[in-house]
Amino acid sequence: MLGTEALLSMPIHFRDSSRREAADNIASAARSAEFEQLALPLLPSLYNHACWLTRNHAEAEDLVQETFSKALRAFDSFRADTNFKGWIFRILRNTFLTSRTGIAASRTVFLEDHQQALDTTDAGPNPEDNLIRLDNQAALQRAMEQLEPPLREALLLCDVEEVKYKDIALILDIPIGTVMSRISRARRALRQLLQPRLGEPQ
Amino acid sequence: MSQTIEHINPDVLSAFIDGELSAGEQETIEQHLSGCHACGLRVLSATRLKTATARAGRRFVPPPEVLARLTAQLHGESRRRIYSIRRTAWASLAAAMVLAVSVIGWRQLHETNNLAAELLDQHLATLSSAATPQVISTDRHTVKPWFQGRLPFSFNLPDPQALPSETALKGADLTYLKGQPAALLLFTIHKHEVSVFVTQRFSGPNLAALPSTRSGFTIHSATTHDLQIVAVSDVNPADLDALVATLVRVQAPS
Repeated sequence: MLGTEALLSMPIHFRDSSRREAADNIASAARSAEFEQLALPLLPSLYNHACWLTRNHAEAEDLVQETFSKALRAFDSFRADTNFKGWIFRILRNTFLTSRTGIAASRTVFLEDHQQALDTTDAGPNPEDNLIRLDNQAALQRAMEQLEPPLREALLLCDVEEVKYKDIALILDIPIGTVMSRISRARRALRQLLQPRLGEPQ
Repeated sequence: MSQTIEHINPDVLSAFIDGELSAGEQETIEQHLSGCHACGLRVLSATRLKTATARAGRRFVPPPEVLARLTAQLHGESRRRIYSIRRTAWASLAAAMVLAVSVIGWRQLHETNNLAAELLDQHLATLSSAATPQVISTDRHTVKPWFQGRLPFSFNLPDPQALPSETALKGADLTYLKGQPAALLLFTIHKHEVSVFVTQRFSGPNLAALPSTRSGFTIHSATTHDLQIVAVSDVNPADLDALVATLVRVQAPS
């Protein structure tokens, strides 16, 4: 136990620790409110993306839940001038990668394509491009399911979440040129998957 | 290389429709597009695929109980960082309000964005040369009766002299917006194609928060006593307004 003399000789801010704690709590409460304000509007998007990643509703819910926990704990490291959506989607993705489904999925080797070979072969316009059916939502969703996961992930972030290439690069931890080629490749694959449906009756 | 024309590389085209090219690159592409019909079609097709992907990708909506659990967890997690009870109460109240507003806002935004995407999609579909309207006629006395028995409502069409200058009726189609039947009227204004959708005001989709532009196209809407009118085109907004105003005027009971 400290004597009165010892207590008096301590610097002011030590004596005043309870007041400082209260101030910290106020700051922390403000920070939490700020986090909620940023995270809540993204809840439906995060859930949708989690469903596409896990292909399972219960797992998707767990994934979003864990993402919120981790993000709140790490929120002090979030800088206001960076993109919150990109930041939290990155946490979602990293959390997924360490989950059982994510680990299993990462065992499948994905090869980035050899750009030159592909680009020159189909750079010319294809008249059939315009004929693919896009009004059949179910067919498009089936085609999206068949995409290789790394392609689908990049395409969803771009088209559904409207994230810019530079932020997709941060989320997926790949160079921006790879983002560009994955998105383009995903679209070509979708076209190919939708093409055979042409001959079928509506 | 045997090709005489260097067409747009697929990766570049893809980045172009995503708005990811630098100003200089974009200009080069636009220059190429102004002279290359084939690449123009590819851009149009790619844009339609992007819109369709965006819609199809918004597939999984959290069920109410999942939404409730996740928001509760979010409140709970952040509350653990707060000590004072009174502050907790205020924070939860504020959070609940933010939640209510943001969820409603998200729903509305997505609904109107989906509607805008649907309108634009249908408009782009009419632009394709393969698409012929079900009624091809510049005569309002042919177009209007065609809808009888096809739509659960009726509307008036202006006679050609009453239309703004260089504006003409081309034809019409029966279509659906958010599952509700709608008349799709095809006009041209100075060679720009215009799609006008006419729906019932009370059972039709909610147009209140529709954006005024999407992907470079202007979207204008108006309501009359019992109709909603939405026009989509790349023509200048003032001309589009003039057409919408004329259509609104002729609906008034004489």
